[in-house]
Amino acid sequence: MAKNQKRQSIPSNNPPLRPMGRGPRGAMLSREKPKDILGTLKRILSYMGKNKYIFFMLLAVMLTITILNLAAPSLQQKAIDTIGFNGVDYKNLIKYLIILGVVYIFSSGITYFQGWFSAKLSQTTVKIMRNDLFRKIVTLPIKYIDTHNHGDLMSRMTNDVENISNCISQSIGSLFSGVLTIIGSLAIMIYYSPILTLISISTIILTLLFTSVMTKFMRKYFTRQQILLGDLNGHIEEMVVGYKTVVSYSKEKDAIEKFNEMSDNLKKTGVKAQICGGSMGPLMNIVSNVGFVLIAGFGGYFALKGLISIGTIQAFILYSKQFSRPINEIANQYAQIQTAVAGGERIFAVMDEESERDDNSNDSEFVTDEVSGNISFKNINFSYVPDKPVLKGFNLDIKSGQKIAIVGATGSGKTTVVNLLTRFYDIDSGEIEIDGVNIKDIPKGKLRETIGIVLQDTVLFSDTIRTNIAYAKPQAELSEIESAAKTANADRFISRLPEGYDTILSESGSNLSQGQRQLLAIARAVLADPKILILDEATSSVDTRTEMNIQSAMVALMKNRTSLIIAHRLSTIIDADKIVVIDDGRVVEQGNHEELLDKKGCYYNLYQNQFAGIAT
Amino acid sequence: MKLIKYLKPYWIFTLLTPLSMVGEVLVDLFQPKLMAKIVDEGVVAGNMELIIHTGIMMMLLICLGGLCGVGSAAFSGMASQGFSRDLRNDTFKKVMGLSFEQTDKFTTGSLVTRLTNDITQVQQFVDFALRMLVRDTILFIGGIIMMLSLDINFGLVLVCVLPIEMIFMIIIIRKATPIFSIVQKKLDKVNSVVQENVAGARVVKAFVREEHESERFDKANVDLMQTNLKVMRIMSVLNPLLMIIMNLSVISIILIGGFQVEAGEMQVGQIMAAITYITQILLGIMMISVMFQLISRAHASAKRISEVLFIEPVIKSGSYVSEDNKIGTVSFKNISFKYPGTNGDPVIKNLSVDIKSGENFAILGATGSGKSSLINLIPRFYDVDEGEVLVDGVNVKDYDIDCLRKKIGMVLQKSELFSGTVSENISWGDNNASREEIEKAAKIAQADEFVSLMPAGYDGYIAEKGASLSGGQKQRLSIARSILKKPEILIFDDSTSALDLGTESRLQRALDENLKDITVIKIAQRIASVMNCDRIAVLEHGSLCAIGTHEELLKTSDVYRDIYNSQMKSSEEGEK
Repeated sequence: MAKNQKRQSIPSNNPPLRPMGRGPRGAMLSREKPKDILGTLKRILSYMGKNKYIFFMLLAVMLTITILNLAAPSLQQKAIDTIGFNGVDYKNLIKYLIILGVVYIFSSGITYFQGWFSAKLSQTTVKIMRNDLFRKIVTLPIKYIDTHNHGDLMSRMTNDVENISNCISQSIGSLFSGVLTIIGSLAIMIYYSPILTLISISTIILTLLFTSVMTKFMRKYFTRQQILLGDLNGHIEEMVVGYKTVVSYSKEKDAIEKFNEMSDNLKKTGVKAQICGGSMGPLMNIVSNVGFVLIAGFGGYFALKGLISIGTIQAFILYSKQFSRPINEIANQYAQIQTAVAGGERIFAVMDEESERDDNSNDSEFVTDEVSGNISFKNINFSYVPDKPVLKGFNLDIKSGQKIAIVGATGSGKTTVVNLLTRFYDIDSGEIEIDGVNIKDIPKGKLRETIGIVLQDTVLFSDTIRTNIAYAKPQAELSEIESAAKTANADRFISRLPEGYDTILSESGSNLSQGQRQLLAIARAVLADPKILILDEATSSVDTRTEMNIQSAMVALMKNRTSLIIAHRLSTIIDADKIVVIDDGRVVEQGNHEELLDKKGCYYNLYQNQFAGIAT
Repeated sequence: MKLIKYLKPYWIFTLLTPLSMVGEVLVDLFQPKLMAKIVDEGVVAGNMELIIHTGIMMMLLICLGGLCGVGSAAFSGMASQGFSRDLRNDTFKKVMGLSFEQTDKFTTGSLVTRLTNDITQVQQFVDFALRMLVRDTILFIGGIIMMLSLDINFGLVLVCVLPIEMIFMIIIIRKATPIFSIVQKKLDKVNSVVQENVAGARVVKAFVREEHESERFDKANVDLMQTNLKVMRIMSVLNPLLMIIMNLSVISIILIGGFQVEAGEMQVGQIMAAITYITQILLGIMMISVMFQLISRAHASAKRISEVLFIEPVIKSGSYVSEDNKIGTVSFKNISFKYPGTNGDPVIKNLSVDIKSGENFAILGATGSGKSSLINLIPRFYDVDEGEVLVDGVNVKDYDIDCLRKKIGMVLQKSELFSGTVSENISWGDNNASREEIEKAAKIAQADEFVSLMPAGYDGYIAEKGASLSGGQKQRLSIARSILKKPEILIFDDSTSALDLGTESRLQRALDENLKDITVIKIAQRIASVMNCDRIAVLEHGSLCAIGTHEELLKTSDVYRDIYNSQMKSSEEGEK
């Protein structure tokens, strides 16, 4: 098969690479060639090595096939030789034909195993890779996820992995059999005539030189093509995902115009890349035939001088032909291998990111069930971006079972407090303690198990409502799930859905409103039953009447646990035990509603703002 | 294969590709002869002159062939890249014209794949077909002709072998094709698990479900691998089968050849030639089997593209283009609406309401009562099932859709920002806006206060859909964007929910001062956000349940009082 494909175009197969990171556009154009080809290849190989059994079986099978392929022609020749002008030597003819038949059947059978093994090798290798990558992604710190292009991450998982898989299943075979054939024919060539071998090798060197020049060109265009394609895909994704906004502003024409322009650029680069790639084969053909003519010329000359026999030249020419073919093939695989290596590099770049780590966490001391829920923030400093502190000397003590509301202007750092408590981000300086234990000493898993969190942007998974509610507690009984849904006031709309709790939530989400999604997230937290509960604008899309209905449930939910509420709605926070007002990264006021009103400070102003209409 | 028309503009290249391919093939076929000549007549005979002479000939010929090869690569590149560009552009244009009903149905993820992967698939196929199909067909047919011309008896072998090969090929490909599409589905599943985990990383971590998610992924992953292996197992039978038959026919050719030679009807050299030809023919068949696999993959992609490309837009633009009259009235006349493809009760039932020019109109109601659905009908994001929606007294269905949407500024519930600078994002509302206008809009939207604090200000780059901005900041930027559009009707779809109260009231004041004449329709949860509006409509289960000013509603509407109490009562108590 590899043989038939040797003229197939060099991959116009252009994996939609997304540019790394974001930053100002254009900056990523500087990303050129793979940085560490050997290192990356080694790692890909080590992944293949995880299936040693199949890997070596594949090699063995290929070795056999190469030998059989070398043997079959001579057998064929012998069979034909029995047919002479003076008649046919049927006895020998039949004998050779039978041997030939056996060899053929055997080699076909082995070819099946070659196909099967290489499929298996590529699939299992890629499976392990995907798994490792996914496990990495799940353990990446939130900081990484927040600051990286999601589409790019996705594309590593799909396109880059796919490229490696293609490379393993298609290139490895021809690479290996190519190398074997080269070694074999080189040996035979040296045996026939060392001098001619030297000439032959000089053409090889020419080929290699030529290849490296060509690939430089190719790489330039292929890289550019990948970057353009990445940009184009980015545009598509943005416009399609934000389609509603595009339409509301009647921006379709602009989007199309920009798309056409990008598409046109891609086409131009694509044509160039394809010409470069497609020319490789024919041009290599020229080079190798130049080699042939050289050998014939020198061979003839040597023969005239009587240095070698004519039979030797004949044989030599045959083998040198066999010699240059796999080199062409390998050169043709080069682009594919290069794409795979580039993909591998992108995959390993993610894998080499640091996971969330539990440095000094000693498991033994912290038992989730025994947490009482005292939280203290001690002199916290934190910034997302260096030199732009979000929290500056933040101090806050929360007692077990308290209901704390955090208020403050947009961007004052409310959500940051949540990010730090759950260790989505790590503080720059200061300490956060739960029951007197520094949270850095608590394993993250345990820490987060004690904290239940309902976020403003509700995350639901494309699965049934039941599984979504039971997310934290998969073994929960249906009755538990239903009662959690009832508590969150979600039961009513769920039971009105045609499939009830077995309704599968869809991506487009037109089957649930934003508010309904929030109710599901609340139900999920109810069922999780954490010691510490964080509600980050958890009811912002729920109307206030529904909210009032779940108020009693919320009160029940917050009983016996420490709760942190971030909200704009005064109704949500008014009966908190303590209201904490954050401004400019510090706690500026704290106390209950009445106390704070009496103070006539920040909170009073906030309050007045909302009720300005009523108060006057 | 309706997509073939996209090749039409490139017909010259489409034609030149196989032609230059033929050139290359001819050289390829001729070359062994020259080679034989060099060996047989040159080297063997020790004729140095002939070697050099023929060598130069051969070099020239090879260069010509190489040129043809480069040419065919270039032509096919031009044809297939042009083809895919046009196809891509048309498909994207189509997608940009879909109604939400249709994008909901396709799902955004699938639209993105169709525009990217599927088009690349088809392009590769075109490129491959142009170059290989012709080449292999020539080799295949040429091989058959040559073989028959050698000896008609070899035809017997062909008659036996070809049908068998074909049948095997068809059986195996038939078996494999459906599994290929299953593979695609399994791949989708893997992708969606990754997507959900990347987007929902916070929740996964908060609930410490990394293990669970990894298992979920494992399952999808193993599933994908197994399906892949299943199809590959079937496919890997094909090649050995074809090879066996091919090799057996080589044996029978030697045998037949033997008889023929003995009968004096053939020479040994012809047997050799026949073997070469039959090898060529059968290689052609194998190539065709590769083609079939590619076709079935490309066909699936082409189908997915065609589904988008040839879909009839559900929402058709009307022809009415209004003058620049800024009226700004909206009337709902007895409308009912249900999301397409859903069953159950309609979201909006028999609703009628008139919104006056310049009015400050608010819509209040419980979660799921149909507020957002109602306003989605104004710019025709969806069409009503019954009744009519009138803007400035004209049915929205009669409007030229761009003209209609130009009148309306809509701030969506989910603020979507695009990669670009702050000012680029705001100027979505009006491309030609000057910096002053942009800053003014930002000031009204209360966005100036944080934008001016950003290091690069209005030229600051918004990364990854505004991930670096807080929810309230994103909302304010999208409000600024709508204000800059200077619409007749400005709609807030619960789009001040992430603003703190102070900011919201400042926004309200700025709107009152700067945009007095335009009609404002506001969906909100907070009474405080709407109580100063001219009229407030209260929705309940998709019907209008009360309408009036804040004071009137307090007196007349139980529902409104309920809502009011839910938000205000405790605070009044607090003030006592």
